[in-house]
Amino acid sequence: MVEKARRVAVDRDARGNPSSQWEVFVRDEKTEPLRHAGSVAAASATEAHEHASRLFGWYAVDVWLCPAGEVERHSTRGLASTVDDSADETEPDAECGEVRVYEETEGTPEERDS
Amino acid sequence: MISISKLLCDLDAEGDGLRYDAAADSGKPQITDEKQRRPVVVWNATRRCNLYCSHCYAAAETVPAAGEFSTTEAKAFLDQLADYGAPVVLFSGGEPLVREDLVELVAYAADRGLRPVLSSNGTLVTREKARALRDAGLQYAGISVDGLPERNDRFRGKDGAFDAAVRGIENCLEVGLKTGLRYTITEANAADLEGVVDLLVDVGLDRFCFYHLDYGGRGAEIVDADLSPRKKRDAVERLCELTLEYHDRGEEIETLLVGNYADAAFLVEYARERFGEERARVVYEHLERNGGDPTGERIADVDYAGNVHPTQFWQGYSLGNVRDRPFGEIWEDESNHLLRALRNREDHLTGKCASCRYQSICRGASRLRALATTGELFAPDPQCYLSDEEVRGENPIVGSAAD
Repeated sequence: MVEKARRVAVDRDARGNPSSQWEVFVRDEKTEPLRHAGSVAAASATEAHEHASRLFGWYAVDVWLCPAGEVERHSTRGLASTVDDSADETEPDAECGEVRVYEETEGTPEERDS
Repeated sequence: MISISKLLCDLDAEGDGLRYDAAADSGKPQITDEKQRRPVVVWNATRRCNLYCSHCYAAAETVPAAGEFSTTEAKAFLDQLADYGAPVVLFSGGEPLVREDLVELVAYAADRGLRPVLSSNGTLVTREKARALRDAGLQYAGISVDGLPERNDRFRGKDGAFDAAVRGIENCLEVGLKTGLRYTITEANAADLEGVVDLLVDVGLDRFCFYHLDYGGRGAEIVDADLSPRKKRDAVERLCELTLEYHDRGEEIETLLVGNYADAAFLVEYARERFGEERARVVYEHLERNGGDPTGERIADVDYAGNVHPTQFWQGYSLGNVRDRPFGEIWEDESNHLLRALRNREDHLTGKCASCRYQSICRGASRLRALATTGELFAPDPQCYLSDEEVRGENPIVGSAAD
């Protein structure tokens, strides 16, 4: 059965504690894709890079950083997914070409009529 | 967390199963019968605090912060922890009692099978609040007192904080809530160590948690105020002696060491010198089951904005955010090399830690202190106070236990 993943937009504001968070992406090997590796707290991009380099520089080929507040997130399993079923859903329709998934291959998507 | 009273005085405690896989041998009802496989989760329920402590790892402020969980979000988060099987949730902060829904959340955690415990400065714990928390299912309150009145109040940024904390402790005890005292040692309050232990007994407490300073949050700004390793060793030794003296007098206080697993090696050495090889062997075997520094394994932290940290002190790095993924998913995701390396740190430790005789019961102690002072994640902890002979010398206990 073909199903659509039911993703909910995740609030991207106010993740600092209190310094701004920078999402960290690292590439382990030259031929591998970047992988998300958490976030560091830093006041600037330079500081974030220095911080991330201390944590991941001992093995990573590349380190990319992105302000956490600039990332649009849509999750099937985030906190908002379980808090409010009607909250700010991102429910793609057929026209937008959203990739469909099979239940056995990704998460626990909700069954939809198509 | 290492129990001096358990290891040197055979005082059983309800955490024996959790810490040493020793539930069957303990005379106390146990938190869990098996050594924990899932982490104790510290939750900084709010950043707001009514005090401003100079060593606060959470860099708490007196004003509310954006991004704190609503009551509904907090319950969903507690559901994540319960679904994952976390044994304990430690409500911390900031000061958790500034949250008006704290009692409701403690009750919810208890209903979900989590063991709710509290870390507080004690100043807002009225008798009514203590009773409400007890009735909600709170199992333990740890109250921070960092010295006798003058030094404590200076440390905590408010006159009268000491007296208010003691009133909070008394309120907890009057309603029958298990309560302990937490003390973080620095150069500024080391002179009060014995006085604080005496205070503990005077107010009727029987649990003392001795914290080493870790270099996170505002703690990173007062590294210079940390004791020298030599003085730290002296303080730990004095606490061992105090524990034994109290037990000899029939007052069975429980004393615990937190935040520097050089203490584990020291306790083996202390036990050998004081009681002989057999006691040292027993201590060593308990500490092997304890497993050394718990960062990224047996302790986790989730801050008020949902960021997951390898320990409560390591607020500068987050493994992920529970607003994006459930806690258990983040904690199990060893595609993160840093997390995997923390869990296999024996393969990465450098310097004297790489070949230390006590590596299996210490595991390099604080990675955060090493990172903060050297920039190297796997360098030796600057607060290791073991001598070269202890690190490198022949040690029949280590040799035989490892066989």
